[in-house]
Amino acid sequence: MSMRVSRLTLLAFAALLLPMARTAAAQAASRLPGELVWTIGYDPKTFDPAKVDDQESETVRYLTAGVLLRFNRLTQQVEPELAQNWTVSPDGRTLRFTLRPGLEFSDGSSLSARDVVWSLRRVLLPATQAPVADEFLTPARVSVEAVNDRTVVVHLPQRVIGIGKVFDEIAIEPAGRPSEGRVTSGPFFVNDYLRSQYVRLRRNPHFFRKDATGRALPYASGIRLDILENTEQEIRLFLRGDYDLIDSLPPDYFALLAKRSPGSARDLGPSLNTEQMWFNQSPASPLPGWEKAWFRSHAFRVAVSQAIHRDDLARIAYDGHATPAYSFTSPANTVWYDRALTAPHTDVAAAQAALAAAGFRRQGSVLLGPDGHPVRFSILTNTGNAARSKMATLIQQDLAALGMQVTVVTLDFPALIDRLMNTQNYEACLLGLENVDPDPNAMMNLWLSSSPNHQWDPSEKTPATPWEAEIDRLMHLQASTGSDAIRRKAVNRVQQIVANEQPFIYLVYPNLLVAASPRLEGVRPAVLEPHLTWNADSLQLRGAQ
Amino acid sequence: MSLRRGALWVLVGLILTAGAVVARPGASYAHQDREATLAGSSMQHPAGTDDFGRDRLIRVSAALLISLTGSIVGAALTTAAAAGVGTLAAFGPKVVGWSTMLVCDAFLALPWMFLLMMVRSALPFTMSPAHSAAITFLVLAALGWPACARAVYRGAVAQRTSGWMLHARATGLHRTQMIRYLLPNLLSLLLPQFLVSIPAFVIAEANLGALGLGISEPLPSWGGMLFELNNSAMLLETRWVFFPLALLVVVLLALEGTAAEA
Repeated sequence: MSMRVSRLTLLAFAALLLPMARTAAAQAASRLPGELVWTIGYDPKTFDPAKVDDQESETVRYLTAGVLLRFNRLTQQVEPELAQNWTVSPDGRTLRFTLRPGLEFSDGSSLSARDVVWSLRRVLLPATQAPVADEFLTPARVSVEAVNDRTVVVHLPQRVIGIGKVFDEIAIEPAGRPSEGRVTSGPFFVNDYLRSQYVRLRRNPHFFRKDATGRALPYASGIRLDILENTEQEIRLFLRGDYDLIDSLPPDYFALLAKRSPGSARDLGPSLNTEQMWFNQSPASPLPGWEKAWFRSHAFRVAVSQAIHRDDLARIAYDGHATPAYSFTSPANTVWYDRALTAPHTDVAAAQAALAAAGFRRQGSVLLGPDGHPVRFSILTNTGNAARSKMATLIQQDLAALGMQVTVVTLDFPALIDRLMNTQNYEACLLGLENVDPDPNAMMNLWLSSSPNHQWDPSEKTPATPWEAEIDRLMHLQASTGSDAIRRKAVNRVQQIVANEQPFIYLVYPNLLVAASPRLEGVRPAVLEPHLTWNADSLQLRGAQ
Repeated sequence: MSLRRGALWVLVGLILTAGAVVARPGASYAHQDREATLAGSSMQHPAGTDDFGRDRLIRVSAALLISLTGSIVGAALTTAAAAGVGTLAAFGPKVVGWSTMLVCDAFLALPWMFLLMMVRSALPFTMSPAHSAAITFLVLAALGWPACARAVYRGAVAQRTSGWMLHARATGLHRTQMIRYLLPNLLSLLLPQFLVSIPAFVIAEANLGALGLGISEPLPSWGGMLFELNNSAMLLETRWVFFPLALLVVVLLALEGTAAEA
């Protein structure tokens, strides 16, 4: 689960909202009978389900691909899909899938074990460069065989935690005929695509699934995904009835929508995502030595964390649609959220005392470091995310109470990422993390000290501190053990270390905000992505029989 | 003439009012009253508060003063630079005049918005808001002179061949002495240039600020406040978000009115 999951919200919708950037674009095309319409933020980079590595390609894959197992976004359980059932051997190394009888592709040709074997092998082949292959850990040593027409056996060289979910990302395509989503075994298939206009999906008449009354799914005759990155326009067209849903609604528009279209906007409580700030602790950064010393000081980081009024961040920057955060697992993550966690809470007096004990001293309204330099730094965040800019401005005032002079700098995403990943030329950064997968194993690439995504000090050759070494050990432990109890203990310990050391200062869990047209039936919002459209096959517009 | 006088009075009135608001004891443009965000008009906040609970009247007044001070200083610098370059080009050897005007043309042809963005993003992050304001107007001044210099050059060339100049040369006045008499003659050209530059700089700063490249928070600026208007959801909250825009229009009209007929 390493690649696609838990990564910085690289260009997630929010980053693309720059309202001035594009004004023209999709004047919604006309709606076909029975068609559902919503938007995606940018052109999918690929329609080949094996090569998906960006959010919008994943959106299309989710709606079109037929998969052996589906990770149910609502129940957070792995369920059989094209497979009628599946078994895992006790050592976790042999998987056996039995297909449903009479499966067909969208072009009417039959789907057999041969197609499954071909699709899995294609994904595992290095030449395909499928990002999902990494999740098998050693894809080259995985073998796939068809036992008979309906049975497929997969042999793994070692146990893989959460292997079921991996099959949620592998589309079963006709053997030897990869079609970039034109011929699928999922609920929809790609019908046409007009660059920077729309992607149009049609209903797969041969989809196996039926509703409780025996009626064939999907209900909708098709889906049009308009490519539109302008939230203002998206909301205008939603209010006009041109769009049926908004899967991710920025907090500042919630009140507007609640007023204009009562009942359509919904706050589903904290999401799995976090917003956090961190200090650059990389020894390779071009920052002066005394700043590096502050940022590596435990007392300094904890004091900053204690000075921040998270309630105000949630109330003012998110208009109340966020929840104060102290850890990387959100309360929405029912399985992994640790209620026993202790973390520094808002306490300005304690922060001042701790700074004084660590050698920082006040000179009038200015805080001086142990080295005598005034504590002055900038917080970097990306342009186009109103909530983040607001949080930074609030933090600016919160830290002024400690005598820290903070400037807020917004940069466009490419420039920001360049500083984070390449030049390390920044002091503090405020960004969010999107968690697609609730399992903490998905955050391996964030916590391992050797990882380039270990943001506060990327790609450490050896762990820089004992606590980073301990996190490394615990993360490896949870990834290799078969025992749930040991995993839970290890993950809780990682959460506690992070709360103690504050390499990331968690700020809020943004609430999950969605909007669905009152005419849309079958909506069952889920915390996991895609929140509103995970059951797209059961969605339909009222009266559009 | 009466229009000009009226505009001037409006301007003076605005500056005095803004000065009084900002100088009032306890007035702070940065104080966040987090219990009263996006509030409407009240005794405490006559023009309401912004989304951080900062007093809008104080912020608008401070922005007005900062913007006018910066623009006037910037315009003075630009006009002085243009006067220097223009006269030098007109009275120097032909090659100098020709090449100076070429440089001016090249300067005018530059995509200045892009240049401003580059200059602005190259500056260190930890620059204080006051420095960012000073630099914003300095950059505007540094980019504003060529257009003005061209006009001065034309005017100075005309003076060079004028009757009084011929007369002065015939009576044996030295070049450096003639500059003394030249400047009053160019004044009728420089003054409008100066006055016209002021509103141009005010609006340029507002544009930059609306792109997030101008004066940095928490210092108030026109651009920063206009940025709020980008969000249609915000417009529903309180009508006072239009206050900065309305006042900016009044200020610009007053400035243009003052510059007219000069």
